[in-house]
Amino acid sequence: MRRWSRFYPFALIIALLALVPVGVLFALAGDAAELFDAHNLNVLISTLLLMVLTVIGATLIGVPLALFTAYVQLPAKRLWLIVLAAPLAMPSYIGAFTLYAAFGPGGEIESLLGIPTPPVNGLAGATLVMTLYTYPFVLLTTRASLLSLDAGMVNAARTLGMSLSMSLWRVVLPRVVTGIAAGGLLAAMYTLSDFGTPAIMRVDTFTRVIYTEYNAFGLSQAAMLSLQLLAIVGLVLFLESRVKGTQERPGRRLAFWPSRWQASAMLAIVAPVTLLAIVLPLLIFTLWLLRDGAGGFELSYAWNSIYASLLAAVVAVILAVPVAHAAISGRLGRIMERVTYLGFGVPGIVMGTALVYVGLQLPWLYQTLALLVVAYVLRFLPLAVGSVRATAEGLDGSLMQAARVLGASPREAFMRITLPLTLRGMVAGGALVFLESMRELPATLLLGPNDFETLATYLWRVYEAGYFGRAAIPGLLLVLMSGLGLALMLCGERRGVFDASEDQRH
Amino acid sequence: MQRRRFIQALATAGAFASLPLASLQSLAAEAVSQAVSVNDLPALEGKLTLYLGRGEGGLYENVLQAIRDRNPKLNLSVRRGPTAALANTLIAEAKAGVQGADVFWAVDSGAIGLVTDAGLAQPLPKDLTGQLKSDFQYPSWSPVTGRIRTLPYNPDNVSLKQIPSDIMELPDSDLAIGWAPAYASFQSFITAMRLLEGEKATVDWLRRMKQRAKSYAGELGVVMAVERGEVDLGLANHYYTLRLKSGKPDARVELAFTKADAGCLVNASGVLALSEGELPINFIRYLLTREVQSYLASEAYEIPLVKGVELPEGLPSFEHISPPDMDLTRLADLRPTLALLRNVGIL
Repeated sequence: MRRWSRFYPFALIIALLALVPVGVLFALAGDAAELFDAHNLNVLISTLLLMVLTVIGATLIGVPLALFTAYVQLPAKRLWLIVLAAPLAMPSYIGAFTLYAAFGPGGEIESLLGIPTPPVNGLAGATLVMTLYTYPFVLLTTRASLLSLDAGMVNAARTLGMSLSMSLWRVVLPRVVTGIAAGGLLAAMYTLSDFGTPAIMRVDTFTRVIYTEYNAFGLSQAAMLSLQLLAIVGLVLFLESRVKGTQERPGRRLAFWPSRWQASAMLAIVAPVTLLAIVLPLLIFTLWLLRDGAGGFELSYAWNSIYASLLAAVVAVILAVPVAHAAISGRLGRIMERVTYLGFGVPGIVMGTALVYVGLQLPWLYQTLALLVVAYVLRFLPLAVGSVRATAEGLDGSLMQAARVLGASPREAFMRITLPLTLRGMVAGGALVFLESMRELPATLLLGPNDFETLATYLWRVYEAGYFGRAAIPGLLLVLMSGLGLALMLCGERRGVFDASEDQRH
Repeated sequence: MQRRRFIQALATAGAFASLPLASLQSLAAEAVSQAVSVNDLPALEGKLTLYLGRGEGGLYENVLQAIRDRNPKLNLSVRRGPTAALANTLIAEAKAGVQGADVFWAVDSGAIGLVTDAGLAQPLPKDLTGQLKSDFQYPSWSPVTGRIRTLPYNPDNVSLKQIPSDIMELPDSDLAIGWAPAYASFQSFITAMRLLEGEKATVDWLRRMKQRAKSYAGELGVVMAVERGEVDLGLANHYYTLRLKSGKPDARVELAFTKADAGCLVNASGVLALSEGELPINFIRYLLTREVQSYLASEAYEIPLVKGVELPEGLPSFEHISPPDMDLTRLADLRPTLALLRNVGIL
């Protein structure tokens, strides 16, 4: 235990930094007289329902897809991963709006093809949309955990006569439960803080009450309600911290070589998810593009998006490493780690305003790219922390001890053993921060440099004004650029020390 | 629609430089020439930061670009964001002693009220406010364009005769109604009703309307629902209907107006100066020119509020619509409205 404690000072500083915007919320809420009142009980119930259903949905889609992308050997395997993770870059309000417009009586599908479809709205519709745009959280964190597992146990189980599906269920999944829980936690917190989807689907959630207050110039009430929302966030954080995984030595990865028809069957199962989350919205926008015409778009917006998000991803991963390792080394570190999560559960516009107050304390940085990156990192640090922790937790400490016995300094042992073995978690975490920064809106609008237009801000601008046709090109670019950024990061994944042995095929 | 394509084509060809401020003059020439022309204004020089509450899909951008092109020595930088968020940012900046913006152009007069109440707005010269229609003159901010509350209806389901001309009688009809209670313009409309008719009548109206109203997230959603026949009639700002019809000319939706009550309230986008000096004031003068006003009217279907500029196509003239008499800054008094909507169980 003692040798890990050197992470504590770093983790403490980072946790305190992450706590600053929450502290601002307390200061802003100081003026608010009213507390949460009783007739908001319905709101509380529908908020919790939407959250629980979304986590279930995201797990049901994310875990099988994680198994698929981690173990099944297909041509263009990384491309599949990129396509499947891409919904995370699409703002969920865009998805909600297009699904709402596409389905139902009088929707675009019926008026074009004459096929009647059920409407997508209400709690069911919101659950569908939130699931489609949060399952990549579960996919990426679970995949990172799966890849650090040794295939030996599964092979042993198969040798002893256990069927493949049974051995996945009984031997593989229990060992990646922390990865699944880390993704589920992020999906839950995203659902709690999202505004657009529940508003479009007409579900009365906590964020809607907060936004109404905010837009009625009741900033202090909005801050107060956001702090109350943090009570639910705290509960979710506590529940997730009860999930315990196993520790084991890394080894050769499991790999399946499917026959042609098996591969096609798998793709057929995967296709509807991508169709609904990415292809349909882009098709609808293209339809509107043909109807209304485009204009006013510049390619520099895509470049702005991608480099600000990449910077945020790199910084977030660097900061996440000490926090994640502190979390594993003891109770105190665990508390520090949990603290960094709080900001992610606060609705974006309230958090954006809190970050304005933080940024104004650093006038020389105010409204610069550097401050925007800081804002992204403060908001999305838990995405990186969660993934790094989930993979680091599975590491067997004896490898580290062996290195120390063989004469490595703690620093050398960390750099040469622990870091390479958690690289997958770092890449997954970086990818999550990158994708989430690509679609981030309020902080980008309020804290970026003047005239700093990104794909997300441009999408918002045309959506707000009702010029939906113009959303087609930035929407498509958002997906393409996210893919590009992901591909870049996945290249880093290959540099893992153990990859050399894993890629040998037997 | 054709005109929009024309402007877009020119904009991409780089020939847009002098377009709205020069060639649109012919369009405005028919109007009674009380409005100032850009040709009468001094050139803008120096650095100016504008906080722009919502961008209106490039139309405000086109205006800004035209101003930039006409004033090459003007170094204009723009921050765009949701109106309430930018108003909160301005307040935060003032508390920290940071001057972020010189001019604030907001889509909503409530946000203007928040900033003027905080004492951040500079007084405007009389000759500037005097250009506006007499009901729209304020000492420290200037309305730019307006929007009117309307009743979009589906002519397949309802005839104009079935629609009452008094908004307070709407709940007595047997129509299926769509509204968007969470939408800012709806809340301003209820605020106006509260101030005009009193709290009790408003609560009563809301209670009875609730029986026959279906809620939507925004007013474009309301207009789309009317067009789809999901409801017979909606409560929405005028431009959503006009824009829907510009993209889909055979859309099954028409506009009805009530008379001299909150139902046909004219609310405005507004602009104010945050820093002292001539430049912010002169920038505001550009927004009030007949070229900019008629451009926003013809392209964004907004209602020009400067004297002597024509209304957008598809709207009856100001003589035929009779908005209520209302000080728009009083609409910033939103919180009692929210409490009321919540008590009735609509929000």
